[in-house]
Amino acid sequence: MLRTDPTTAHYPVDPARLDLAREFRAAPKGPHGPELRKLVHRFRWSGIGGRWCLITVEAGARWMLALLPDIRGEEIRTFPDTTFTSLEDAEWHVFRIRWKAHTGQDLPEDFSDTDA
Amino acid sequence: MIDSTKVVGYASPWSVAPGDTVRFHLSSEVLDRAQARIVRIRCADSDRNGPGKKVEHVLSPLDGEIALTDCPTYNGSWGRVPPSPTLRGLKEFSLGLWLFPTRVTGADQSVMARFDAATGHGWRLFLDSTGRLAFQVAADGESTTLTTAEPVCIREWIFVSASFSAPGGRLVLATESLAPDGGRAKAETLEVEMRVPALWPDDLALSFAACLSGQPDGPETVQHFNGKIDRPRLHATALAPAAIRALVETAHPAIGDPDLLGAWDFSQDIPGDRIVDLSAHALHGHVHRLPMRGVTGANWDGTRRSWTEAPAQYGAIHFHDDDIDDAAWPVAAEWTVPEGTRSGFYTLEASADHDGIRTESHMIFFVRPPRGTTTAKVCVIAPTATYLAYANNRSRIDQTHFEVMADGLMVFAPDDIYGQKHREYGSSVYDTHMDDSGVCYSSAHRPILNGRPSNYTFNYVNDTHLLDWLEEQDIAYDVVTDEDLHREGAGLLAPYPVVLTMTHPEYTSKQMLDGLQAYQNGGGRHMYLGGNGFYWRIAFHPTRPGIIELRRGITGLRSWEAEAGEDCLSFTGEPSGLWRSVGRAPQRLTGVGFSAQVFDRSTFYRRLPDSDLPRASFVMEGVDPDERIGDFGLRMGGAAGLEIDRADPDLGTSPDAMILATADRTGPGGIPAPEELPALYRGFSGEESSISRADIVLTPTARGGAVFSVGSIAWCCSLSHNGYDNNVSRITGNVLRRFLDPEPV
Repeated sequence: MLRTDPTTAHYPVDPARLDLAREFRAAPKGPHGPELRKLVHRFRWSGIGGRWCLITVEAGARWMLALLPDIRGEEIRTFPDTTFTSLEDAEWHVFRIRWKAHTGQDLPEDFSDTDA
Repeated sequence: MIDSTKVVGYASPWSVAPGDTVRFHLSSEVLDRAQARIVRIRCADSDRNGPGKKVEHVLSPLDGEIALTDCPTYNGSWGRVPPSPTLRGLKEFSLGLWLFPTRVTGADQSVMARFDAATGHGWRLFLDSTGRLAFQVAADGESTTLTTAEPVCIREWIFVSASFSAPGGRLVLATESLAPDGGRAKAETLEVEMRVPALWPDDLALSFAACLSGQPDGPETVQHFNGKIDRPRLHATALAPAAIRALVETAHPAIGDPDLLGAWDFSQDIPGDRIVDLSAHALHGHVHRLPMRGVTGANWDGTRRSWTEAPAQYGAIHFHDDDIDDAAWPVAAEWTVPEGTRSGFYTLEASADHDGIRTESHMIFFVRPPRGTTTAKVCVIAPTATYLAYANNRSRIDQTHFEVMADGLMVFAPDDIYGQKHREYGSSVYDTHMDDSGVCYSSAHRPILNGRPSNYTFNYVNDTHLLDWLEEQDIAYDVVTDEDLHREGAGLLAPYPVVLTMTHPEYTSKQMLDGLQAYQNGGGRHMYLGGNGFYWRIAFHPTRPGIIELRRGITGLRSWEAEAGEDCLSFTGEPSGLWRSVGRAPQRLTGVGFSAQVFDRSTFYRRLPDSDLPRASFVMEGVDPDERIGDFGLRMGGAAGLEIDRADPDLGTSPDAMILATADRTGPGGIPAPEELPALYRGFSGEESSISRADIVLTPTARGGAVFSVGSIAWCCSLSHNGYDNNVSRITGNVLRRFLDPEPV
């Protein structure tokens, strides 16, 4: 039996590596360097911080935030008040949620203007 | 936003010719009527960055309002033996079988029964809500149940027997693991004196893997079982467990024994739906909702891997509580296709306004040319086997790897949210059942939310970009379906100078592959304008249209793996899995075969020296030697992406094949298919290795025929770039025009 096991993702998340967050903010859709790639894979594979996804509102133009269930078969939660007109913005929004979940620390929304 | 879920339904059959009637089975939870019309699909992609959605209204008597009802859908496969005098009035009896439970559901799961759930009368062997085996007899207001102390081991074979004797007698339940291993070996024998009179309801069917609901409205059956049942036996006396076990262990019980009421051999008629009783009482029955057949029994010893080679070891049926074969909704409308109707992709469009939101839903079907004739020189094969394979695919929701695979947030359609609420519509062959076994059957006779004009673009929507381009170029075409080719063979294609296969014709039956091969070797010209085609071996149901079967086997890019010994198709006995595994890799047909997935970003092709060969020079006419080919497109910015194919002489690419261009810089997201790697090592991604690549290949075949392949799903979604003025469009047009020229390639 083949399964994908979310608990197998174990690349360590270092809260001090704000340079990686900054790299992601600069190019949310990539391409990313090898270190950031590993961090993003950890975020995406583990499900910690939520199995976030998008629902198309208008094809190629607008997307709504949604959350996939942790338990198979349960409903997909949608967030109609959180929509994006660019996929990059959506990626950054979810990255910040997951950063907080893994490190306990907030990333500012406009990270490019900070010198954190 | 346009909603597409307020009306759902399906058309049947999918493929119709002028004069045929297509029926529409519709349901709505909230609407009692909608506007209906027939439309011919040119482009089903509403993405504003592309050509946009384009449909043509086809006048029909259906234009106008259509009445809707809310139709339920019921799941769960089961076996039914009709009511019989043999089963009535038994003062005592015993039953036995091998059992392989696969899931504890939190509810009762009936294994073998003559039981009416509404009245609670009858008898049943079942798993209770905690996974403990139980045997209940109930009649005339009295009920006795025996329940084992321990729950069953999931995915372990056990022998189960139960017996009942008349009032003053006993109820016995015995279980014993077949595996003697520590931790698995368990045995229990329970007995109780009971006072239940033997007054069974007369008209109850005997059921396997469910019991009768007893409700006139609603599902016929309830308490569906998840797991395998093998060699059930029913005897008219209260035998001891050892005696019942002897009956189960023999494949050929003594049919002269008048007390042997039933000895079912599920290894008979595996491709069909009959269940055969070996006993003299001939209590034959049928299975419903497509349980999985051709599966290993308790006695499977690993010496054979196909039910055709050792049927006695394949005497089990695997039932699931989420199986479905036909939603069986009533017909809401029908349309007899008028003579002269243009061949093409069609839908019944049902639309309405609900709470200020427009809803628009499409039930797909395909109009082929009148049988025995053609109406165009170009034939497009609609990959309906692939549409079925992906039907209601929920693996992106249920599995965890897709966001990593796509290197980005997954984007779902509103249909996915609706589908998650309506899992009763059944899954795709990418999914697993709730007991984690792979879904191996897929049917067109149910609502399919992702294979229609909607925001889910894979397959159907992508394919319509090719239709849009043909219309834009004013090139007439006929449409036939995979199933048409499967059932009618190469003769269906022979009259056409050119056959086009679409963006992702991944699932192929032997008859389809033979038909295409014969077409090519008979001088036909095939343009394969997709990626990861002709990869998995499927079968269509031998008698019921619109149903496919796949076993994923043990290699390939598989979302589940066949259980040991279960990689042969129940419909035909053929080995399933990859065509590559049986010596017919896609390269033998098209020159290219699946190499890699590239779901993060698409790329471009660059020309190779073969493109200057005189025999191939027509392909790149108007394309500069150093020009990037397809450095644009709707699918992540390139014509080479999503799933891509490469040439390989070792796998069958012809010695005469000309490799005209390659897209071999697929980056870190270019991940080769598992069967491409002989060992595990670093550096296999498209960033460091060209094994993950798409090749454009031209292959002359016999009698002046040829195959042109682009090896990429994304190709057709680049055709419309820059108002259709681009090198992907130019190359496609160059080849199509040349292929229409009867001069040998």
